[in-house]
Amino acid sequence: MIRVAAIADVHFSEDSAGRLRQFWSHVHTQADVLLLAGDLTTHGERGQAQVLARELEVVEVPVIAVLGNHDYHSDAEHEVREELERSGVIVLEGETATVTIGGATFGVAGTKGFGGGFAGSSLTPFGEPEMKAFIYHTEALAAKLEENLSRLEADYRVALLHYSPIKETLAGERLEIFPFLGSYLLAEAADSAGADLILHGHAHHGQEKGVTARGIPVRNVALPVLNSAYAIYNLEKSERREVNREETMTEASLAR
Amino acid sequence: MNADYQYLVGKIQNALATDPRVNKLDVKVMIVGGRIHLIGHTATEERKAVIAQVVRETVPEMEVRNELNIISVAEPGQPEVISD
Repeated sequence: MIRVAAIADVHFSEDSAGRLRQFWSHVHTQADVLLLAGDLTTHGERGQAQVLARELEVVEVPVIAVLGNHDYHSDAEHEVREELERSGVIVLEGETATVTIGGATFGVAGTKGFGGGFAGSSLTPFGEPEMKAFIYHTEALAAKLEENLSRLEADYRVALLHYSPIKETLAGERLEIFPFLGSYLLAEAADSAGADLILHGHAHHGQEKGVTARGIPVRNVALPVLNSAYAIYNLEKSERREVNREETMTEASLAR
Repeated sequence: MNADYQYLVGKIQNALATDPRVNKLDVKVMIVGGRIHLIGHTATEERKAVIAQVVRETVPEMEVRNELNIISVAEPGQPEVISD
């Protein structure tokens, strides 16, 4: 079993010091890893990342993060990343990280993701260059996510996003802004490659729980949704699944 | 909604998104009876006050009702078991 703590949309600024330290200082008693699903700052300045980095100094488990749209606002996302990495945070964008926890490997494929909407009412790469650029960006990030999840060799695999892969975890947000909150292309990528869990943030008025078309659990861990310093997900490999797999193999052998 | 109010709501939301003092995208702005109501949540009392200040500077001629809630942060609940 791997115990995953996760939170998004902490929106740190110069006035945030001490806000989460008391909770994060004992995350190691409940979880093996802490995942941050973007919007770590209010508008992506180095100083804001420094405040967050200092806050994370008390965390005694590996911290893996993706950035969110707020972290890009000042065109200084590389500075935000630099400050977090300096404090030991693993920051992913179209990349993967694997850590070993109690003999098991835990892999994360991370990307901010982007918008475009959901099947049936989604944007397509048609028309003006600006519209095409919008959806090409989402397509590129989704393709990279699929590639990374497919290559990720780990006992447990998690997709860490900022934008939502499904509309169910957006319930509570205004329907008009769904295309700016996520894209089905992210879910399609994860469903194609496989994953044990998808985490995202971004939707402050959304719901915590949803599932992809092929059954991957999706959790919106935006702080205003959780109202707690993090959520904890214990990932388990079921014995029943192992038995079923053996039975399937036996049946396959008999069929031959 | 009054047509002019619609444009004002857009103007206020644009200011909240782009003013570096707040950069806030999730405030619900309603204009009713000539008053601006701000609904949603933010992290601290200080941020709540600055949000209202930005709105007052954007539309100085209207009264602002600051109805934002402060997000409470609690200890995490029980773990959820996710099995494959």
